[in-house]
Amino acid sequence: MIISSYLRGEHRECDELFTIAEKSVIDGDFEKAEKDFLLFSNDTLTHFKKEEEELFPTFEEITGSTEGPTKIMRYEHEQMRGLIGKMAEALEKKDKDAYLSIAESMMILLQQHNMKEEQMLYAMCDRTIPQDKKESIIETMKTIEF
Amino acid sequence: MFNQGGLSLDQAPPLSVVLRFFVTASIFGILLGLFLLSQSLNITTLSSYSTQLIIIHTLSLGIMASFMLGALFQMLPVLAGVVIKTPTTKAMIVHTLLSIGVLVQLFAFGISNNSLLFFLAAAYLGVALFYAIYLMLKELIKIKTHSSSSKGILFTLLSLIFTTIFGIYLLLTLGGFTSGVDFTQIKEIHYSFALFGWVSLLIVSVSFQVVEMFYVTPSYPKSISKYLTLTILELLILKTILIIFSFKSTSITAIVSILFLIYATITIDRLTQRKRPVADATVWFWLFGMALFILSMTITFIGSFLPIDSTLQHLSYIAFIGFALSIVFAMVYKIVPFLTWFHLSNQGYMEAPMMHDVIHPKKAKIHFYIHIITIAIWLLTTDITWLGSLLLTISFSWLFYNLTFAIRKYIYTQKHCEKIEW
Repeated sequence: MIISSYLRGEHRECDELFTIAEKSVIDGDFEKAEKDFLLFSNDTLTHFKKEEEELFPTFEEITGSTEGPTKIMRYEHEQMRGLIGKMAEALEKKDKDAYLSIAESMMILLQQHNMKEEQMLYAMCDRTIPQDKKESIIETMKTIEF
Repeated sequence: MFNQGGLSLDQAPPLSVVLRFFVTASIFGILLGLFLLSQSLNITTLSSYSTQLIIIHTLSLGIMASFMLGALFQMLPVLAGVVIKTPTTKAMIVHTLLSIGVLVQLFAFGISNNSLLFFLAAAYLGVALFYAIYLMLKELIKIKTHSSSSKGILFTLLSLIFTTIFGIYLLLTLGGFTSGVDFTQIKEIHYSFALFGWVSLLIVSVSFQVVEMFYVTPSYPKSISKYLTLTILELLILKTILIIFSFKSTSITAIVSILFLIYATITIDRLTQRKRPVADATVWFWLFGMALFILSMTITFIGSFLPIDSTLQHLSYIAFIGFALSIVFAMVYKIVPFLTWFHLSNQGYMEAPMMHDVIHPKKAKIHFYIHIITIAIWLLTTDITWLGSLLLTISFSWLFYNLTFAIRKYIYTQKHCEKIEW
């Protein structure tokens, strides 16, 4: 279960960073919020990149399909990239209510996305990808930067 | 989960599927408030037995079942990874039959000597509920790897089967179609499955995922999320057997109430450990609901060993109703704004209203204040008071306004905003 364990850990880190940024916005400390948000968005976008460039192509190659779960996951990543952009705009305008409103949608979308990945996709990857391949994917993912 | 896409792409059921149930539930809430108001002001004078039946079934079927079935149509794809095909038509059938069934049943309770109404109520409600159960169960039993929520929902629907079967028997007895053998015992089985099985188990099952998902809390302990729902269902079946064979079943009720007490305490603990600092009204609804659940289950626990007076009994009932409504409101104020944004956004409306534009958290906060005052008044007074009834009417009217506001936003965006074709 090394895929599950590695990527689940990243999800929790993103959650943590999300909540830190949200707290700064609630406190009205926009200077800190900008830094916190940058950490959140960088981590989240890097995580998406790791999946899209390494994990998904391997899974698609093994299952022989690009129309299955990975297609949906890629679509949801796009949706969330859009929301991250909107959150950044709200932050720039120091618009607390707009930020929190977008953050609310972002959080639900992110959590249900994570739930699907953790409960299904990662488990499927751990089952179908050979051990040595899994280890090399993780090593490569660790080197990917946003 | 992935084959159908869950909450992804265009597979999520249309907004009308869930909102038709939610709007109807809020209308039943308003009607209940007005009925109680007319009772408190002696405008209508029904016997206390009829009044009791009308209150209980407007709450349990008109309000709770509408909310819960609507939520299930929407949440099964997310929580259980199953999708009901052609949901619009199927939801319309269930919704129409259920709404007619509830109305007919309420008239049956209110008008004496009306066998036909009882028969029609049993038929409409039976078909509506069994059809909904069939639609959901046939997908749920196909799941190979269950999550704690999907497994819990499965047991919840099994509880609804028992509730409905015994409910139909009771309706037919009241209509004079059966001799009513063991009426009192069947009634106890009916409401045990309805309250502990259907209402409580569904809330428990859903909470295993949504509490963590919405508020970023630590997970529930594995022992609870894995075994609680099945244990409750087994205990309820055991209770049924004991009642049928005329054995005492109070110890089972005591165990069930202890299990729910543990669950509610853990839920409060998890919510207080939430990582998200946002203290919106939905968190308060959850915390208030769980506190009321603790109150209700504590009295139920005591009542299973010691005789309790009618005041305590009243407190237990009101606390339970308050618990169920609080959680439903908490869910509605998250689900409706999210879905409105989600559907419009997926349809390509770049200017789709964000969640706060659909129902602003301030509006949910106002509802929370109305709700706690309403429940407090009902807890403090044992009679039906005009104030409690008025507050209940206001509470559901406010919800109705918020829901219709969301619908108007949705329609306005579709009519007036620019759409990008994917």
